[in-house]
Amino acid sequence: MSDIAPPAAAQPAPVESPWRRLVAEFAESRMALFGLGLLVVIVVTALAAPWVSPQNPYDLAQLDVMDSKLPPGAASATGGTYWLGTDDQGRDMLSGIFYGLRISLTVGVASTLFAVAIGLVFGLAAAYFGGWVDAVIMRIVDIQLSFPAILVALVLMATLGQGVGKIVVALVTVQWAYYARTIRSSALVERQKEYIEAAKVLALPQPRIVFRHLLPNCLPPLIVVATVQVAHAISLEATLSFLGLGLPITEPSLGLLISNGFQYLLSGKYWISFYPGVALLATIMAINLVADQMRDVLNPRLKR
Amino acid sequence: MLRTIRIALGAIAFGAFTLAHAAPERAVAIGLQAAITSIDPHYHNLSPNNSMLLHIFEPLIMRDPNQKLVPALATSWKAIDDLTWEFKLRKNVKWHDGSPFTAEDVVFTLKRVPDVPNSPSSFATFTKPIVDVKVVDPHTIVFKTASPHVLLPSDLASVLIVSRANGEKATTADYNSGKAAIGTGPYKFGEYVQNQHVILKANYGYWGGEQPWDKVTFKIISNPAARVAALLSRDVQMIETVPTSDIARFSQDANFTLADKVSNRVIYVHLWQWSDKSPPYVTTKDGKPLDKNPFKDARVRKALSMAINRDAIAERIMEKKAVPAAQLLADSFYGTSRKLKPAKYDPEGAKKLLAEAGYPNGFAMTIHGTNNRYINDDKIAQTLAQFYTRIGIDTKVETMPAGVYFSKATNGEYGYMLLGWGTESGEQGSSLRSLLATRDPAKGMGVNNRGRYSNPAMDEQLSKALVTMDDKKREGLIQLAAETAMNDTALIPIHFEVSTWGCAKGYRYTPRTDQYTLAMDLKPAK
Repeated sequence: MSDIAPPAAAQPAPVESPWRRLVAEFAESRMALFGLGLLVVIVVTALAAPWVSPQNPYDLAQLDVMDSKLPPGAASATGGTYWLGTDDQGRDMLSGIFYGLRISLTVGVASTLFAVAIGLVFGLAAAYFGGWVDAVIMRIVDIQLSFPAILVALVLMATLGQGVGKIVVALVTVQWAYYARTIRSSALVERQKEYIEAAKVLALPQPRIVFRHLLPNCLPPLIVVATVQVAHAISLEATLSFLGLGLPITEPSLGLLISNGFQYLLSGKYWISFYPGVALLATIMAINLVADQMRDVLNPRLKR
Repeated sequence: MLRTIRIALGAIAFGAFTLAHAAPERAVAIGLQAAITSIDPHYHNLSPNNSMLLHIFEPLIMRDPNQKLVPALATSWKAIDDLTWEFKLRKNVKWHDGSPFTAEDVVFTLKRVPDVPNSPSSFATFTKPIVDVKVVDPHTIVFKTASPHVLLPSDLASVLIVSRANGEKATTADYNSGKAAIGTGPYKFGEYVQNQHVILKANYGYWGGEQPWDKVTFKIISNPAARVAALLSRDVQMIETVPTSDIARFSQDANFTLADKVSNRVIYVHLWQWSDKSPPYVTTKDGKPLDKNPFKDARVRKALSMAINRDAIAERIMEKKAVPAAQLLADSFYGTSRKLKPAKYDPEGAKKLLAEAGYPNGFAMTIHGTNNRYINDDKIAQTLAQFYTRIGIDTKVETMPAGVYFSKATNGEYGYMLLGWGTESGEQGSSLRSLLATRDPAKGMGVNNRGRYSNPAMDEQLSKALVTMDDKKREGLIQLAAETAMNDTALIPIHFEVSTWGCAKGYRYTPRTDQYTLAMDLKPAK
């Protein structure tokens, strides 16, 4: 029959860029799309916190202790409404959560980026040079990984003191080893392949082989680990703050907000802990959904 | 067969009969906040120890729940002249081992107090004024002091008497093991495990009458939430220091009762006045040191006091378990002035005073305080920062554990210090002397004056009070000194803590101003 459209195969195949393929494969999971959407909303809210928050929760002049522990929906003394209630200092919970998200995401992303950078250098060095370099670096990694992350972070925070910068330092210290180990194992595999041999035969300079040939091919597993670890870093920061070792009490992050409200749970003032808890949960869940799908997309073994 | 059943039934009936008639052991468990560091009554002058050891040992003079002095091992005492005191001792008092209590035991105690090895905080300050002891007869003893010392009865209320026979060679370890822990008190030593528990048994031969409990177990539960949980689960029948955040929960529940009382502890602020230099952590708004010390200016001190809304802190942060303070002790105590009222909340007035003092745009400072020592200490610090930010002082807050904080505060490393002070003697003269007199440790003046406030007029009134034997006259002088200091805002009093005890249904506690938790004051509710 002549009116039948020609089979698709007959059309010139579109030149599929790897990026477009990634996006298409990512979009196959609705949960992942939902997670991505949620994450975008959270990131935009966090970035826009100073403009969308009803109050600057870190400006003590804007807090009023007479408005403390009001339930969600209560009217403030100045005529506004506390949609999610207030904490023990009269801080608007909604504003507190927006600003808290800002801190959590900053800490999570910043510590991951630094940790990846450090882990990358050491992991690649270990894999490429092998021998005693490998042995020394990997033993350090082993020692680092044999301590529970929270314990190392606690000790560091107790000695360093409070502050966003110090939290990032502590989180980088406990996380770089994961990346070093991940990149080493994938680099060991890649190193055996012919294109590296070819590059060596061409007598290319070593840094060029490592960074231009070896590194790009080791990235997929690293991206997956890093995405998961952002969520881990955020929850670790919240844990430290919950234990009172993270940030100054006048600039609470989500963990500190939860900790403040924790004491009032038995007295029925649930909102002080509950809503920051929900915000933390949503953030970590969104990141994990995205990370899961990234793993599936980037894993060659799951390719159909 | 029938016979066996009959015998068995008989045995059961007999058992039930004896059970019904043997009185059940009256036991009670109490949850304490802080660990007891020793059972040696002269080793460590620390409130939790002093409270615990009052069960086993007794002083010559005791303090009642309102900290008024009442007879204990001494039945009466009087000053014969400015330097001589005569004490009549109680007759027919027996030590836990059955031997009689006499004046010799008092002599031995006074000798032992200053030489307990390795004492972290000695009781010697209380016995130091006594230069000579004379035993007139087994139940009359005379003390001599080098200079007139009106506070002798109050000092001796802090010294627990131990027996000569058991204490002669005893070390602190012997007390902790219970070997030497032989007292005259209403309870006998049972068991002591540091940081865990202390078990006491009733002393049925107590001179003061029968106690309501046969066995008392004190459990150390430092974590407030765990302490609350222990009471909720009836693991203990009473806890001390109910967290303010749980007060609403307990007061709504008919299965529990709360007992509370204004304590002798004031929460206050010392302002750094060590020199005319800019105090630590006090700067201009862009972080440069100030050209002079603003805290030396009484107008600035007054402004900092007026900026605080004390009612808001008491109501919102302390859940009404605090009373706004105007001086160092609440109104019911000896030496307090009725003329002093808590500074009124007046942010506009405070701004005006700051402008007058030359700081129309305020300055910047950091509030330093503890986060684990006083009730809601870190929350109070934050709320203070709110108030100061409103009058134009850029305020930061840094709180830390007491162990780190106190030594640094003592060294003058902080400008604005949030502190607390409990007056064990229950009279305002001693707290003025310790916190505000011009510092002179050799004379025992200003020992805890971390702000280094100095006012010769107040010093003079106070020194006069300390050598005035007449109670009425002395009280007038102490009140005058308090007025001088407080009208000059020598320190900023914030509030008096209200101590709270939580009891399960069926138990009743008589609350005390000194925050002590005593089994003697816990009774079954009728």
